[in-house]
Amino acid sequence: MALAVNFKTYVDQACRAAEEFVNIYYETMDKRRHALVRLYLDKATLIWNGNVVTGLEALANFFEMLPSSEFQINMLDCQPVHEQATQCQTTVLVVTSGVVKFDGNKQHFFNQNFLLTAQSTPNSTVWKIASDCFRFQDWASI
Amino acid sequence: MCSNERKQGSFRYTGTTNAWQSPMGRKKDRVSSLSYAGKRTDHYEHTGHTILPFKAQSDGGNLEMRAVLWNPSVRHTPYVGQHRSREEEHMEDQIHVTAQRDDKPEQREAGQFTEDGELGSWFKVTVPCGRKYDKTQLMNSIHSLCSVPFTPVDFHCDKHRIQFFVPDFRIASALKDISYKIHNEYFQKIPIFVNPSVAPYSVQNRFTKEEMEQLKLAMRKRYDVSQHALCLKKLRFDPDLMKNNIHMILNHRSCMAATLQIIQENFPKLLSLNLSSNKLFQLDSLIDVVKKAPQLKILNLSKNMLRTVWELEKMKGLKLEQLWLEGNPLCSTFPDRSSYIRAVLECFPELSYLDGRKLLLPTVMNTQERKLMKPCKDIFMGSEVIKNQVHRFLREYYLMYDSEERQGLLNIYHDQACFSLTIPFNPNDPDLNSMYVYFKDENDMKNFKEFHIQRQLLKYTKQDIVECLRGFPQTLHAFSSFQVNICFQMETMLCFSVCGLFKEEGTPKECVRAFMRIFIALLGSSNMYIVNDQLFVRNPSSEEINSAFVIPSPTSYSNFKLVLSQEQQRMVQAFSTQSGMKLEWSQKCLEDNKWDYARAAEVFTMLQTKCKIPKEFFKQ
Repeated sequence: MALAVNFKTYVDQACRAAEEFVNIYYETMDKRRHALVRLYLDKATLIWNGNVVTGLEALANFFEMLPSSEFQINMLDCQPVHEQATQCQTTVLVVTSGVVKFDGNKQHFFNQNFLLTAQSTPNSTVWKIASDCFRFQDWASI
Repeated sequence: MCSNERKQGSFRYTGTTNAWQSPMGRKKDRVSSLSYAGKRTDHYEHTGHTILPFKAQSDGGNLEMRAVLWNPSVRHTPYVGQHRSREEEHMEDQIHVTAQRDDKPEQREAGQFTEDGELGSWFKVTVPCGRKYDKTQLMNSIHSLCSVPFTPVDFHCDKHRIQFFVPDFRIASALKDISYKIHNEYFQKIPIFVNPSVAPYSVQNRFTKEEMEQLKLAMRKRYDVSQHALCLKKLRFDPDLMKNNIHMILNHRSCMAATLQIIQENFPKLLSLNLSSNKLFQLDSLIDVVKKAPQLKILNLSKNMLRTVWELEKMKGLKLEQLWLEGNPLCSTFPDRSSYIRAVLECFPELSYLDGRKLLLPTVMNTQERKLMKPCKDIFMGSEVIKNQVHRFLREYYLMYDSEERQGLLNIYHDQACFSLTIPFNPNDPDLNSMYVYFKDENDMKNFKEFHIQRQLLKYTKQDIVECLRGFPQTLHAFSSFQVNICFQMETMLCFSVCGLFKEEGTPKECVRAFMRIFIALLGSSNMYIVNDQLFVRNPSSEEINSAFVIPSPTSYSNFKLVLSQEQQRMVQAFSTQSGMKLEWSQKCLEDNKWDYARAAEVFTMLQTKCKIPKEFFKQ
């Protein structure tokens, strides 16, 4: 019972973090692309349709070259990650799904998942992206 | 000064004696350096202002021409004849002077005389056209249609028109003849207007030989022979040039023309040209660089005053690899860097560096429609060990998952693992309503109508997870459709995702589903425990179904068939139970014996008796 209570607390925290994060992420991606890289950890890794991009500099270049986007999110799911797996660094798994239109390309359904880690600051907790995995659902037809 | 010139021109038509005296007077003016400098200064001031003075001069020219034509009385006839005679003399002088210019100083004076003559025989050509027209292509059409070859002088173009000067009547007449004979892609005819004009600015302000020599010396000091690089940064303030009173304002056509001429004659291998900090606000004078330095690869135009990226169209023929534009007003006219890059690449598609930063994916940028990075099927950031571990795990997991009993999954989940399932829900999509089989709880069924976007179940502890998974429909996963990504890895933790297709069995109608699964696993010495499991199930598109079964199976899966039949699944499970071997080895044994259960059992018993089966084949 004690475990269940703790787990529920973690779930509530994860849900709030995930909902806030998803709103910020996709709005920044669509409208303030140049600021997107600030959401990532220094050593973060993006896997974009199987292509690996590692490090802030590579991420900045990648997002610069990505055509402008219009994201619509249809699904959001999240789970707290077990502390034994994260060496006591509070981590949340966020999973999204929806539709995206990149400028000059047709519309695609996509899945994306993030690992967010909590970074403590004096004022509040800031969630940063440690891992980002993006994939089109219809990748084979590209 | 301009008005004086006009009066002199007018005066020339009425007085024979005075006409002959005027050229001599001009010669004296040329010799005087003070007077010459003063004249140049006046013209600089003119170019600093609007174009109106040129128009006024042009109108004046027209008026003079009409005045002559409208007075054909007997009294004036002899003067017309004399005028033609003088033209012929000028042509002879020009030919003579050109041939011997560098040999005798005296001839140079004659050259100046010819320049004076040129002042009265120029024509301005104007081609009005909209911004959509390709100016380079239009000029090519004009050149090809014109019966007389010509070199445009002081070529200028903006979004609405092309304007240049030609030095004699024959060219002007030939250009007038092709007016309305060129049409654009919309089949609209394009007019060409030709009018008599004063000499273009660069001709009036052509550099003297001494000035050219001084400029050449200054430029030599700025040329890096090893790099084939010429630095003309802040050329206006070059100490040598300032000492000799040479004002190198590169916006002025005569200054740029002199510079390009020296580049063509003295630096034929030039690769890199730095024109930064020269207050350039347009690039009309730089158009000739395409012909005079076509091999140029690196161009620095930073810290100038260029306002629109359209100015770059004037150098479209260069095959630049590096370009600097930062510090120009045009940079702030773009909403983001990618549209800025896109606009520049339209003029220089072979560019690989812009403002010192490497452009990613140049091959992709070359295509007209910007394409996204091509997806890869599988990617493993980790080592080969991790890759094999993940493959082994997935085989084991989905063989158990596809079996009738899913109880074996208990050994794979951590005690405090959690699991969630998500499916998209759209009341308008009747196919998706078949997803109801995933919600067997009565409460969920009662609240079915309240689901708007998605329904989510979150299970905690492995007992609840396996109980939930056992309630889902029976499945048969297509291993060949799997796409695996290792998203994140630490010493003790691994996060990986799997996408693929599976067939649902035991439902009223068998159907194919698409799924994405995210696992977070604790890494042990030889096994993995799942602590997080997220499952997303949806209906696939027909394209996905077709392409999935066309993709060849990865080599690491070569030991397994694409989809095991239900009967074969049961055989594997039973064989594993009886023999104590792991599922994958049980399956291999059955496959080796062509799914003959009795024979496989016989072979297994024989090998076991001889102690030929390794320990790791068996369950722990």
